[in-house]
Amino acid sequence: MHGLRWGDALVVTLAVALVGTAFGLAYAPGGGATELVVTQAGAAPRHYPLDAVRTFGVQGVAGVTTIRIEPGRARCVDSPGTRDICERAGWLARPGDMAVSLPNRLVLRVQGPGAEFDSMHF
Amino acid sequence: MAIRVATDSTASDHRIAALAALAIGLQVIEAAIPSPVPGIKPGLANVITLVALVTLGWRAAVAVTLLRVVGSSLLLGTLLSPGFWLSLAGALAALLLLAPLCRLYPGHLSAVGLAVAAALAHTGGQFLLAWTLIIPHPQLPVLLPPLLLAALIAGVVTGILSNSVLSDPRMQRHVRNTPTTGTR
Repeated sequence: MHGLRWGDALVVTLAVALVGTAFGLAYAPGGGATELVVTQAGAAPRHYPLDAVRTFGVQGVAGVTTIRIEPGRARCVDSPGTRDICERAGWLARPGDMAVSLPNRLVLRVQGPGAEFDSMHF
Repeated sequence: MAIRVATDSTASDHRIAALAALAIGLQVIEAAIPSPVPGIKPGLANVITLVALVTLGWRAAVAVTLLRVVGSSLLLGTLLSPGFWLSLAGALAALLLLAPLCRLYPGHLSAVGLAVAAALAHTGGQFLLAWTLIIPHPQLPVLLPPLLLAALIAGVVTGILSNSVLSDPRMQRHVRNTPTTGTR
């Protein structure tokens, strides 16, 4: 555009960097997920630390849901649901991520040390 | 006996008054436009501040801005309300940053650079006042990034507007330090 100077590019670049940094600082998760919470209908929530590799099954009303844990993340490997919704949730790594198996009435949710925001309203 | 009216007012005073009137008008019109998010608005009066800065100098820009903040708050009925103080804090922060930056105009910076810097300073100043005095909540900084992003966009828009206003031949006569393009 006519009339622009090199300083404009510098100012805009710095401004974009500032805005990006602000977003990064304000919205960066307070560390990754550190534990998996398995909530099943009729049972107390069970907590599993995300520290080492292991695979285990959880018995539900429709069958066994197989859960795999790796350091910092967890996922549903196999579940009795026919539409693979629980499996397709993929790896749960950010605090607040969850996978649901409706046939087994099961919710897998990972948590971190910091509080996460569900939503924000202005 | 006739009333003596400020006979020592200069042409520069008249220009400041005219620009302040324009800025107040813009701010009042802008206040009537509903904003989807409180605290986010284009800040069109920024254009007037930049025009005053470039044509009349920094002191004139301060005068125009203070007249705008007080004048528009009188018209909108927000004088001495939190909104007024936020507006004043933002305006002062922007002017403080413009003081060193305006020396770079027009050689190294155009109005776009000035407007972006001023818009971010405005939001920063406002936010600092809001956070320290008005709403000292620990989670308030979570609201800052979207506001800064809005300021960045508003700064680019008002900067482009300012550039096109200032490049008008009728304005160009008044611009200080007109660039000596290709004459040396």
